[in-house]
Amino acid sequence: MDAKKLLYVDRRVIYLLVAIGALIPIIRPIGLPTVPTEPVWNLFNRIEELGPDDAVIISFDYGPSSEPELNPMAQAILRHCFQRRVKVLVMALFPLGGVNMAIGQLDRIASEFDGLEYGVDYVNLGYKDGAQAAMKRMDISIEALFPSDVNGDPVADMPVMAGARNYDDVSIVISLATGIIGEYWVNLVNAQFGVPVAVGCTAVSAPKYYAYLRAGQMMSLLGGLKGGSEYEKLLVDKYDFARELYETPEVKVSSAMAGMDVQSIVHLIIIVFIIFGNAMYFLMKKQEKEG
Amino acid sequence: MVSIGVWLNAFLTLCILSFLYKDNPFFRFAESLFAGMSLGYYIGLANQQTLMPNLFGPLFGDFSGNFVLLIPMALGILLYFRYIPKVAWMARLALAVYIGYYVGVMFLQKLHGEVLPQSSDTILRLRGIGGLDILWNVIFIVGVISVLLYFYFSAEHKGALGRISRVGIWFLMISFGASFGYTIMARISLLMGRFSFLVNDWIRPLVGAS
Repeated sequence: MDAKKLLYVDRRVIYLLVAIGALIPIIRPIGLPTVPTEPVWNLFNRIEELGPDDAVIISFDYGPSSEPELNPMAQAILRHCFQRRVKVLVMALFPLGGVNMAIGQLDRIASEFDGLEYGVDYVNLGYKDGAQAAMKRMDISIEALFPSDVNGDPVADMPVMAGARNYDDVSIVISLATGIIGEYWVNLVNAQFGVPVAVGCTAVSAPKYYAYLRAGQMMSLLGGLKGGSEYEKLLVDKYDFARELYETPEVKVSSAMAGMDVQSIVHLIIIVFIIFGNAMYFLMKKQEKEG
Repeated sequence: MVSIGVWLNAFLTLCILSFLYKDNPFFRFAESLFAGMSLGYYIGLANQQTLMPNLFGPLFGDFSGNFVLLIPMALGILLYFRYIPKVAWMARLALAVYIGYYVGVMFLQKLHGEVLPQSSDTILRLRGIGGLDILWNVIFIVGVISVLLYFYFSAEHKGALGRISRVGIWFLMISFGASFGYTIMARISLLMGRFSFLVNDWIRPLVGAS
């Protein structure tokens, strides 16, 4: 066996195997189990404690490039908040498409619940530039920063804003983040104003958030698609409406739980290639030694 | 019935994915289109969401009450002076204000939100707790100190410093491994998003499958 030839296998062979590994679970879902972890439980339990008198901020700090990872998370959290009838203030501090993400997700999820009223139960405050300056301003007044909502309508008369004047009235800030804005919520808003912060981030940025989580600066971390799937699992286990909803084909195919099948299969393929590459490397060294 | 938007979306997705085989004109077309549209979107967004409500709207609405906004407007225009060689130096004035503002904001933010809480989190108990917790705390402290010493370059990494730095490299390697695993997860999520679109929104309706 010529180890050198095997070691330098055409990269397109690897791409092809990864593509097959990703396609099979999409065409025929496997349904591998999901086990929620403690950081995800923390957010779920916190929202379970909240009710119609409480308000949360959900900041859509991501754009279309992170949609597959963060949309399922956003949907699950919004469904949970609306089910608990918690007042939801949606905003976007990420310039490239954050507000479009917020509009799309909020409209879709709110339409699933009967009796929810825009301006009373939830509001979309739209996009605001200058993340840190905006965050600081909200400690004084959210309404001063967002005098009108995403449609240009004044928010002063909206009942939802009466119970959310500034950070003192906000039970938790949930940032769905693709870049550094999630960090700003932690190292500025939590550190300077003491507001509990949870971050749902893309997987690539999850490792850096663990330092904040460990230090108690964040109350919850949902890392990538896995974090989203864990939240969905908790929601499905707790509520019948969620169990039925996540069984429907439209919701099921775009859920994080279904996506974790793909993740597991592709991770296995990559692990096999890492082991194979290392084994061939050592075999090649041995063959070189033997001449 | 598959809409023209879905067809276009599928075509552009396949154009981008074709790069995995090799570089080709379809990929370059889709790449250029994406870059151009992103820039156009960003300019439109900056105009509609930032300049109009925060600058032009207030200035045209109530000039006497908002004339102070002319100062940030002038600073913004000054930034573009760098393209005129004779007055390029004036762009530095705006940059100086910009940098000064960010240093002021970030200094407190980093100190208060990162340096102090992260430092205090490394002060851990080694007594009065369970055996396993002691072990984890020792590993944590050894990790922090050895990695910090690895990045100490004012002395040659020999002797005790060299050995501790080697330990730091191991901790760094483990953290890089964790980052690599998460990075794969992120990239596969993106691939899955595109494949899910191709299968569920394009091919399945096309062949009439549910």
